[in-house]
Amino acid sequence: MNPIDDATLQAYVDGKLDAAARARVDAALAQDPAQARRVQELQALNARLRAAFDPVLDEPVPAHLTAMLQPRTTAAATPTPLAGWRGTHAARHRRPRRWLLSGTALAASAALLAIGLWWHAGSDLVRMQNGEPYAAGVLARALDQSLASKPDAHAPVAIGLSFRAADGHICRTFTVRTPPSRAGLACHAATGWALPVIEPASPAEAGELRQAASDLPPAVQAAVDARLHGDVFDAQQERAARAAGWR
Amino acid sequence: MHSSDAVREGLLPLLPRLRRLARALAGQVADADDLVQVVLERALARATQWRPDSPLDKWVFAIARNAWRDELRARGRKANLFVPEAAGEKVADHTGTQPARQLELAAALAALSADQREVVALVLVEGLTYDEAAALLEVPVGTVTSRLARARTALQALLGNDA
Repeated sequence: MNPIDDATLQAYVDGKLDAAARARVDAALAQDPAQARRVQELQALNARLRAAFDPVLDEPVPAHLTAMLQPRTTAAATPTPLAGWRGTHAARHRRPRRWLLSGTALAASAALLAIGLWWHAGSDLVRMQNGEPYAAGVLARALDQSLASKPDAHAPVAIGLSFRAADGHICRTFTVRTPPSRAGLACHAATGWALPVIEPASPAEAGELRQAASDLPPAVQAAVDARLHGDVFDAQQERAARAAGWR
Repeated sequence: MHSSDAVREGLLPLLPRLRRLARALAGQVADADDLVQVVLERALARATQWRPDSPLDKWVFAIARNAWRDELRARGRKANLFVPEAAGEKVADHTGTQPARQLELAAALAALSADQREVVALVLVEGLTYDEAAALLEVPVGTVTSRLARARTALQALLGNDA
């Protein structure tokens, strides 16, 4: 019986051997309990890695990522790029914001353009799609992932209330802490987080963790009041809504 | 079809696998999705460089690996990529199963070298063959298998025998 070398054993564990080579290893392992135990440990490690990462395949893909791959013919605009991974190299990854150049976007109402232009060029939190503003970048990510029940004082975006609007869509209020501070309401739609209202927020609202509805700018409060029927989500409902992809 | 349209169309069904690979490389959920976004930007910007007769998944995985390496370099040593405890919490938070074991695994992966971590991600998580991983990393196959062996030894030492 030839001893099995480590490279062969590793390939065996990783399922990279052909049938004949695998049979040889099986035969050798039957004769060598110590080696067989080692193989079992390596197989358990592989299984543990798969168990840890395979569930990612079943998670809903964040809308801001799928939106980047929409055909340009159906989306009036490409999403504005993230200002760098955690902002570390903003300039390198910046692409031209096509919506500023596109005829349909320019034809959008002055009010919508104003919303777009409000946002500082470096923040990249809004993209225009078919003339409507949608959340992008860190804002889209915060809306997708952040829980008001687990606030992060250092996050660039704070989430306030989450609730199911009268029309069935889930809406969330948010405050952008990084200047220029903004507060607004986002409502989940098939193409991402639509932004029916965005208002300048006072530094106090932006800088603190106060998230009571009464702290929201009046226009945002009014937009909430117009949509809210029933109660706002509690922590458990918020978590469940996230798990369901905000649908 | 314009090459960027072909790449757009081809990448959409690859997003779940790309997110899984990014998670295995970057650890934290938010970091991993930031990485995916950077990868998509790069892939779309370089769409003309993809040869339609070559596999799109390997092409975009190579972009992901290089973007991750770039980010590690940009961050340098001053900030650890992430705090292992926080990474474990996020992983556990997302899967909701066995938080303590998930945390332990996240911390062990964070302790690997970049060379080791990327072969673990590409071969053990994504399931590439040794040859595919070697081609993607532009190293000999023997380098892939020896890094993999060292990564396993390190993980087993960190995780104990109940891996």
